[in-house]
Amino acid sequence: MKTIDLTEKNFDRETADKDGILLFYKTICPFCKILEAVIEKFHKKNPDVNLFKVEFEEQKTLSQKLEVERAPTLFVIKKGRVAAKKAGVMNLKELTALWEQN
Amino acid sequence: MTKNVIFIMLDTLQFNYLGCYGNDWIKTPNIDMLAKESTVFENAYSEGLPTIPCRRAMLTGRYTLPSKGWGPLEADDTTIADMLWGKGVHTGLIFDTPPMRLPKYGYQRGFYDVIYGAHGHEMDDEYYRHHKLLKDWKVEDYLPDNVLENFNNSPMYKPYLDHTLKEMKSWLAMRQYWKSDADSHIAQLVGKAETWLEGLDRKFPFLLWFDSFDPHDPFDPPSIWEGYPNPYDPEYKGKRLFQPPQGSADLYTEEQLNHMRMNYAEKITMVDKWIGRMIDKIKALGLWDNTMVILTSDHGHPTGHGEHGHGIVRKCRPWPYEELAHIPMIVRVPGVGEGERNSSFIQSVDIAPTIMEFISAKESKVEYGNHVLDDDISLSDIQGESLLPIIRGEKDKVRDFAIAGYYGYSWSIIREDYSYIHWIRKQDAENLKDVVEMVSIMYDAKIGEGAGRGEGEKATTAQTEEMWSCTPGEVVLPEGDELYDRRKDPFQLNNIIDQNPEVAKELLQQLKLQMAQLRAS
Repeated sequence: MKTIDLTEKNFDRETADKDGILLFYKTICPFCKILEAVIEKFHKKNPDVNLFKVEFEEQKTLSQKLEVERAPTLFVIKKGRVAAKKAGVMNLKELTALWEQN
Repeated sequence: MTKNVIFIMLDTLQFNYLGCYGNDWIKTPNIDMLAKESTVFENAYSEGLPTIPCRRAMLTGRYTLPSKGWGPLEADDTTIADMLWGKGVHTGLIFDTPPMRLPKYGYQRGFYDVIYGAHGHEMDDEYYRHHKLLKDWKVEDYLPDNVLENFNNSPMYKPYLDHTLKEMKSWLAMRQYWKSDADSHIAQLVGKAETWLEGLDRKFPFLLWFDSFDPHDPFDPPSIWEGYPNPYDPEYKGKRLFQPPQGSADLYTEEQLNHMRMNYAEKITMVDKWIGRMIDKIKALGLWDNTMVILTSDHGHPTGHGEHGHGIVRKCRPWPYEELAHIPMIVRVPGVGEGERNSSFIQSVDIAPTIMEFISAKESKVEYGNHVLDDDISLSDIQGESLLPIIRGEKDKVRDFAIAGYYGYSWSIIREDYSYIHWIRKQDAENLKDVVEMVSIMYDAKIGEGAGRGEGEKATTAQTEEMWSCTPGEVVLPEGDELYDRRKDPFQLNNIIDQNPEVAKELLQQLKLQMAQLRAS
């Protein structure tokens, strides 16, 4: 599962015109570990979806820009733009619905 | 030979009120005898409290605490009865647990036979509300003056008193018709189970889900009605207090709190007698050698201070403490595990996979027609573990810790060394709104209204992003969380979180990881 680590520098370039799932995570957060596993399952069923992630404490400017206050916070990116945002754990069914409905 | 299952759920049967769990003064000879022929699980915990979530977990094999609480069975809940439907196993639900028949709740779904025991228990008490009380049957004869005064003077708990007075009036209206404990709910239910067992077509395996609300309160044992002292409290001279209004334990004297417990104990002894009779019947019908019997409960009962209830009487707070969450679990499998005791952490969710493994094992296949259970029953949604490998001696444990709590209010983790309670939303014991809210959940209605309207929980507990995410910075212990040394303090009386922050953080992280894992699966 290829995941692109985003920083302030590469954010616009990497996400431009792309569809993908962007995860803001925190290294010591148990909820993030589980959501990453859910994203992995989602990706197996949807291999064309790009995966991005951001360590939200390291990338403070990006976190502020996207108003991320908690981890995990997940974004659905469609054509390079934020289509949906949701904080907290979700299961595969909920993630799939979030992806499909936005 | 067919393989059958009889599942005996006795609501509100606190584990340490049984001889087989170390109690040396309450007489429970029949359950103790069953325990001697069974594997006794010493560390069984309900995960989602109380009545309804626990049954959902037992029926489905899925944890409720992360995502579902007191509410209707939903289309995406797959129960044992759903799984066995059309598979050649006859299923019967014989019950008097009122929440299982709440309108719109659907917990009877999938059972071929659904037999309701008797009316009159909590949430069904209004069945008798229009029956006139005979002369000499008075509610006030069972409520001591100081209790009435204390509740009447407490704006906080007065609504509970008013509600209890209605309950008691209905209970007496029902009780006036009884001649002896042979008319009690448990006796009537056992009678219906015996009739059902007698009428079975023995060509087919069966699952009997026997769900008794007794020994749940009211704690009205025979001594009250037959006019002799409670055998466990012979010196007590006060009013018999069979249905104490729920609220703070401070509204009662210690003598009254003790008497409540003694009435509870005597009721358990009565329930034990009728369970003994049912076991005799199972044996007399020749079913003992091919029938697995599971006896368990959903929770204990708060009846006072300290280990008796952490300051409350009846479940008026979302307490996840030992006296409520620790349950008895006795599993008798013919031919294996006799007289064994096991200390693995097990949970309500283990019931469904245990039953499914036993009843669908290859050797249970029978030669009649097409009612053979094959491997086409999907158990992939089940999160619990079958207990049969432990009972067969193939392994010692199924997990390293248990979880327990109230959906939307409290999460806890119980390990061998420590237990930890994480408050999602700690109710303020001095806040009337919080008190009313708790009743709204339990009754699924406002105080004084009929139960089962489907509004209670929706209005009060919701999934929030805060519950399922972390804030920046180091792990911070939330204010109000609790840590206990389980080896020295199993009943969670001495909170040591301030002295052991690192241990507490480890447990909090472990709890969150487990909850997230369950939430996501």
